[in-house]
Amino acid sequence: MVDEEVKIGVFICHCGTNIGGILDVPNITEYAKTLPHVVYAADNLYTCSEVGLTQIRENIKEHNLNRVIVASCSPRTHEPLFRATCFEAGLNPYLFEMVNIRDQDSWVHMKEPERGTEKAKDLIRMGVYKAALLEPLEKIKVSIIPSALVIGGGISGMNAALNLANRGFEVNLIEKEPHLGGLIRSLNKTYPTNEDASKLLEITNLVEENKKIKVFKSAIIENIDGFVGNYKTTIVQNENLTKIESGIIIVATGASPLSPEGYYSYNGKDIISQMELEHLLKNNSVYANNVIMIQCVGCRNEERKYCSNICCMGALKNAMLIKEKNPDAHVSIIFRDIQTKGTTYEAYYRKAREKGILFIKYLPEKPPVIKKDHIQVYNEFLNHEISISYDLIVLSMPLIANDDSETLAKMLKVPLEVNGFFLEAHVKLRPVDFATDGIYVCGSAHWPADISECISQSNAAASRASTILSKDMLEVEGSTAEINEDLCVGCEACIKLCPYSAISKDEETDTVIVNKVICKGCGVCGASCPHQAITIHHFTGDQILSAIVTYGGEE
Amino acid sequence: MTFEPKILGFLCNWCSYAGADLAGVSRIQYPTNIRVIRVMCSGRVDPVFIAEAFIEGIDGVIILGCHLGDCHYISGNYETELKMKMLSKLLNFIDFSDRIRLDWVSAAEGNRFAQIVGEFTEHIRKLGPNPLKEKKKKIEILDNLNTIKAVLSDRRLRGLVARQRELTTEGNVYNKVISSEEFEKFFDDAILNELLRHKIMIKIREKGKSVPNIAKEIGIEPYKVLQHIVTLRARGWVDVDEINEEIPTFISIKEG
Amino acid sequence: MGTNKKSVMVIGGGIAGIQASLDLAEQGIEVKLIEKNACIGGRMAQLDKTFPTNDCSICILAPKLAECFRHPSIQLYTLSEVKDISGEAGNFKVKILKKARYVKEEECINCGTCIEKCPMRVDDEFDMLLRKRRAIYIDYVQGVPSIVTIDRDNCLFFTKGACRICEKVCEREAIDFEQQDEEVELNVGSIIVATGYDIFNPEYIETLGYGRFPNVVTALEFERLICASGPLGGHLLRPSDKAEPKKLAFINCVGSRDIKNNPYCSSCCCMYTTKEAMIAYEHDNELETSIFYIDLRAAGKGFRDYIERGHNEYAINYIKGKVAKILQDEANNPVIVYEDINTSKVKQIKFDLVILATSMVPKKDASKLSNILGVELDEYNFFKGGFYHPQKSSKEGIFLCGACREPMDIPNSVIDGSGAAAKAAEIVMRE
Repeated sequence: MVDEEVKIGVFICHCGTNIGGILDVPNITEYAKTLPHVVYAADNLYTCSEVGLTQIRENIKEHNLNRVIVASCSPRTHEPLFRATCFEAGLNPYLFEMVNIRDQDSWVHMKEPERGTEKAKDLIRMGVYKAALLEPLEKIKVSIIPSALVIGGGISGMNAALNLANRGFEVNLIEKEPHLGGLIRSLNKTYPTNEDASKLLEITNLVEENKKIKVFKSAIIENIDGFVGNYKTTIVQNENLTKIESGIIIVATGASPLSPEGYYSYNGKDIISQMELEHLLKNNSVYANNVIMIQCVGCRNEERKYCSNICCMGALKNAMLIKEKNPDAHVSIIFRDIQTKGTTYEAYYRKAREKGILFIKYLPEKPPVIKKDHIQVYNEFLNHEISISYDLIVLSMPLIANDDSETLAKMLKVPLEVNGFFLEAHVKLRPVDFATDGIYVCGSAHWPADISECISQSNAAASRASTILSKDMLEVEGSTAEINEDLCVGCEACIKLCPYSAISKDEETDTVIVNKVICKGCGVCGASCPHQAITIHHFTGDQILSAIVTYGGEE
Repeated sequence: MTFEPKILGFLCNWCSYAGADLAGVSRIQYPTNIRVIRVMCSGRVDPVFIAEAFIEGIDGVIILGCHLGDCHYISGNYETELKMKMLSKLLNFIDFSDRIRLDWVSAAEGNRFAQIVGEFTEHIRKLGPNPLKEKKKKIEILDNLNTIKAVLSDRRLRGLVARQRELTTEGNVYNKVISSEEFEKFFDDAILNELLRHKIMIKIREKGKSVPNIAKEIGIEPYKVLQHIVTLRARGWVDVDEINEEIPTFISIKEG
Repeated sequence: MGTNKKSVMVIGGGIAGIQASLDLAEQGIEVKLIEKNACIGGRMAQLDKTFPTNDCSICILAPKLAECFRHPSIQLYTLSEVKDISGEAGNFKVKILKKARYVKEEECINCGTCIEKCPMRVDDEFDMLLRKRRAIYIDYVQGVPSIVTIDRDNCLFFTKGACRICEKVCEREAIDFEQQDEEVELNVGSIIVATGYDIFNPEYIETLGYGRFPNVVTALEFERLICASGPLGGHLLRPSDKAEPKKLAFINCVGSRDIKNNPYCSSCCCMYTTKEAMIAYEHDNELETSIFYIDLRAAGKGFRDYIERGHNEYAINYIKGKVAKILQDEANNPVIVYEDINTSKVKQIKFDLVILATSMVPKKDASKLSNILGVELDEYNFFKGGFYHPQKSSKEGIFLCGACREPMDIPNSVIDGSGAAAKAAEIVMRE
């Protein structure tokens, strides 16, 4: 290819009258014929029609074209079609270049046809100069280890594992505790059905009995290596090392309840946390007649700005359970905003109010004050301080990020957000993906989530993971970055710049390398490399400069 | 005949190129002067490309990306911003910074695209042609632009910009986070020094010159020239050419 | 059970259905994506920006639309509705009605010539009736498939028997008045319902004056009003006198958390009113905005920070209190009457423009579709999911995602879409 003479074919589309009715297409075509390397140029009514495509295919063969340019509409819509056409005629699809003379020319210069025509000529000339330097590229293929690694054996991890196993994939599920189950093990009942938490833990048996799922308990991750399709993880169990190979990784490590120590005179006796209340309810040992719950303890403040999402429903549930057991009990919830979004939860909140649970809003600047047997709280409705007596105070503590999240994040090379929860690739459209391909997140590791949210998210993570695991080979675009070893001095600036962790240092060869499977070809590393040692294939410096020079130089 | 500026546009594939297409679909008319080069991310635009464009006589360059926070590649446009800031600072020294514009256009902003292109074209029209086209100034301007291009191609400023976000958020090798203000000051000094050094390099590229002569040519004090010559010698870019009456002349020995 | 069909029908081409389709297709499962409208994209395509990142909605959606259109494993049925199903999980037989487009899909290149020449002017549903479209049209300029459609109900040829201008001007001979509606039979292993939601009509709450007062608009109308590609080109003007509004009010929970209308919470309004206020402020830094709310529901990731930013950086004044009614002064300025919580006194504030955060309500044809599919609805007419397995419908092999089962925001719809895809894949891939 290198020595082969460059032969460019240019196909110029009239797009009916969309281009042809404004620009002088025959004139443009004649001009194209005069450009270097152009051995064939023709115009046609609709290049994208079967007639037009056939013309491309035939002329590639007839004129031995090794570069093809179509000047028509936008590459955003039509490049895939023309690339495929070139490929059908035996031409490497990366030897195709598209020039936009409709959306960005004839349609926007309808009253200046002559100048629009000049613009089209310039654009085609720039295209020709770039095309002459195009290089054939191959899509990159990598094999995929058809098994999953799920980190965390709580409800999210177990549900993800089960879904993947049901899809037919081998799953390795690792849990740092000696039991599966996670936080649900500490719960009494679950909202919104108020059934025993143990019912939801029946999934534990399904997981443990599933032949496709290998469970590793009391397991600590030592090291994670590799990339999408090919992850290698080392875990330690009782000083034994195990190596796990997997195509993908799902992070389902959950979160931890904030310790109530030091908040509102917490004493573990008559001032306790919701988690402790769960335990008392489970053992049927709540005897208090006057119960006050305080929401947002230790969160939505300067130290921890966020709302922990699940505490309002948790408090409502326990308040109702107390009322059910003891209808004479007085239960008050001192809150800031009740978070019961949607249909079912809002109905649950309504039911709680109907049951006589008292809701008192407090302001962060005037938090409740706990006295010996009563609580004082300022109420905005009454514009007055009120006092309520208690024999049990329950503090609703937020979920906080696990203290080992950072270690795990570093091993996975994925980011955390300010509160220490894992940060997904895109808040709106990629909520369970990481920017790093093949790693997913679900449940409270991502953000405090309740059971139904955990299950939804773990289904989602399993689905995303299946898009990789279901393939034998992963195929990715060939237009990626490549480091020129001769120019690279190993400063590693690019490693930090790459948002996908596609660049790393190969310790064995002591060189910086791009993993082409991970690279998305954005080109940021190339444009920033201090030594200009990175080639961005299909958008190389030479190709772009060539277009610039011919645009500028033509006087 | 009125001056018709040559405008070059770099558009990112995902937002601004889509915005430009939308202007087309909506038939929003704008001046014909712009020629667009599509890149996947505005972060692909190497400042060297823009220096080259000016050397080739292009009158104005516009760089458009996704709005900050919207980058298809997560953070590419933040890097674009840093690179263009460096470029703008450099171009400022030779009165070219008015000839570039960095802006953000979303895929929904066909109107905004047309408006920005319209405004920029008018702006460049008022500013007049690339001064390179004036015969009298040609050599000086070309020297200036080549200096800028050399600075932009050199690893020093590139390295600083490439590491700017890391240094100002994560810290340097000693885990010391440098505040943006500290960085800015340090960076401005570096820009000035590099610019002068490359200016010196261009002046002594063909024949050796003495420190006082160089100082006169580029308009700074001789002791400063000497300091830079010392640095450049340490880089292995400059050597003594000859010694005339005890006054040494220096010449560029840099390859490429 | 008969042969297990390795294909899934997804009903609804909004963001939830798109996500489900793409996930399944990427797993090598055949997808039949059924869309009632002429283009996929759903509600998300109508939004200007999205919280909490404020990124441009169409910018992030458009690549997904294109991917859906191009994916070899996704077959798109636009202008189509499900008429009947039979069979069971693993092997459903489905009849769909594909309405005539009167345009040859493979010929039309969306050049726009026919649109320009069409003499009919019709209220544009995509732009919330705020501007006119033609009788031959595309739902929205970035719509996918990028093909025009003839609106039979308004086309002069169909209504009056004359015109046919589009046919004459189309150089591709893509117009085909002879096209007929057709019934298509599909055989799929599983079904995903992703039909989305409707918007509550605030005319039901007469005291708010919507429909009577020109400067009282809904949030989705406002979304189009501030959108760069909307009817005002992104330059916000109020409807009555085309003046730039300086004082905006948003009212949350219009029709939601309201026993008389919709008892449930619409989940997104606290966030999107903040977003809309922020965008308006970015257009005009002199804007003052008040948001009337009951509880500020901002429990999602980064949501609380977002509200705080709204308050600190975008001059949003959050007022806790239920609005009693809206009046109008002689200059068409809406006046909000509300009970001040701190003083329990009734107060009045005059605004230039009031935006109603109307509830998300079930699709009006939800019960019809639920009957066809044989799945249950909940007490509000949303499709009923499991309490702990929300994507599971009452029938095996049929799954739910997005706002058809409960009001939810975009990230949750995406999660739901992927989640439903996971469950459907379990069914069609089981041995």
